[in-house]
Amino acid sequence: MIDGKDDKARRRRFAVLCEPLRPDLVRFAFWLARDRALAEDVVQEAMLRAWKALDSLDDSGRAKQWMLTIVRREHARTWERKRLEVTNVDSLIDSEADVLATEEDPAISEMREALFRLEDDYREPLLLQVMMGYTTDEIATEMGLSRGAVLTRLFRARQKLRAAMGGPAEEVP
Amino acid sequence: MNCLEFHRLVGAEPASTAPTVLAHRDECAACAGYQDEMRSMDRLLGKAMRIDVVPVSARAESDPARARRAAAPPRRWLAMAASLVAGVLVAATLWLSYPGPTLAAEVIGHVVSESDALESGQPLAAQAIAEVLEPSGVRLRPGVGTVTFAMRCVFEGRVVPHLVVQTAEGPVTVLLLAHRQVEEATRIEANGYSALVLPAPRGSIAIVGRDESRIDAIARRIFDDLDWET
Repeated sequence: MIDGKDDKARRRRFAVLCEPLRPDLVRFAFWLARDRALAEDVVQEAMLRAWKALDSLDDSGRAKQWMLTIVRREHARTWERKRLEVTNVDSLIDSEADVLATEEDPAISEMREALFRLEDDYREPLLLQVMMGYTTDEIATEMGLSRGAVLTRLFRARQKLRAAMGGPAEEVP
Repeated sequence: MNCLEFHRLVGAEPASTAPTVLAHRDECAACAGYQDEMRSMDRLLGKAMRIDVVPVSARAESDPARARRAAAPPRRWLAMAASLVAGVLVAATLWLSYPGPTLAAEVIGHVVSESDALESGQPLAAQAIAEVLEPSGVRLRPGVGTVTFAMRCVFEGRVVPHLVVQTAEGPVTVLLLAHRQVEEATRIEANGYSALVLPAPRGSIAIVGRDESRIDAIARRIFDDLDWET
């Protein structure tokens, strides 16, 4: 049984290591699921799992990677459990229009839509690299891919986005 | 490194500063331009990925049309809440001598274990408070008092907002317990604290202070200054 002092220390550790990651985890889950409400559910569930498993986090410096792995697994579980239908991307974009739109810069909205249309296999490594700051090797480890496969996906992802934004698409190497 | 190899690598890692990449940049203006373009696209991509993280339940605030549509239910809730609190206060006054229920005792236990939270005297910025409340779909209107602590804490295995509000009667702890439905108000005095747990539009709200004679009035003020998005 955990005494009051240990419990307090555990809560402090969770608050310091895990809670500050929530905004980026919600963003990551949103871009994975392309559904804001689902993303919030996934992150909430991931937070609870993280709380229960907090003692297994030996290296506090790896809290971000640890939390992100939990979110990825929770997203996969949710996807399987709910047997979500792969909906038409246009209807996904319509349903999340208020998240995608911004008055800051029209190019940002355009890029968000292009990202929405990107296949999952290309979108996820790009999120890990650009938003979460993962190296190619870290992405390879997280996704269980070879380094070469990750580089190919990252290259193709950018070429697809470049073309969607009106630029020339290169030949895929 | 030739141009094809450069494009393959930089197209995957635009930020690359590998010696071979830098050397090729120096001798090929077209490839240098390509890397600059990729880096520029990554900056845009980074901004695009940083969506607003206001929860779905609170998104109406950012859309005037939605906000107008959503305005009626919270007001109804506030009216209902005011009636509820008024009724609760009468009942609570009659309950002073009754043993306190478990939930209220757990709330006091949490406040005792988090007593450091009561010691902070620095006012928090509105944004910091909003970041704690927004995931629960709740807003705190200005005026209730100075908030000096706001954190999402684990209570009964759930992550819940925990605030400390500095009032004229001293610091008061507020816990928003969306996972805990209560049928009626409960209160308890223990460890020098007075706790009142009230039914809320979503779950319940616990208010804990030192001054038991003023806890009802404080609870009413705080309850009235919270908006639960429906």
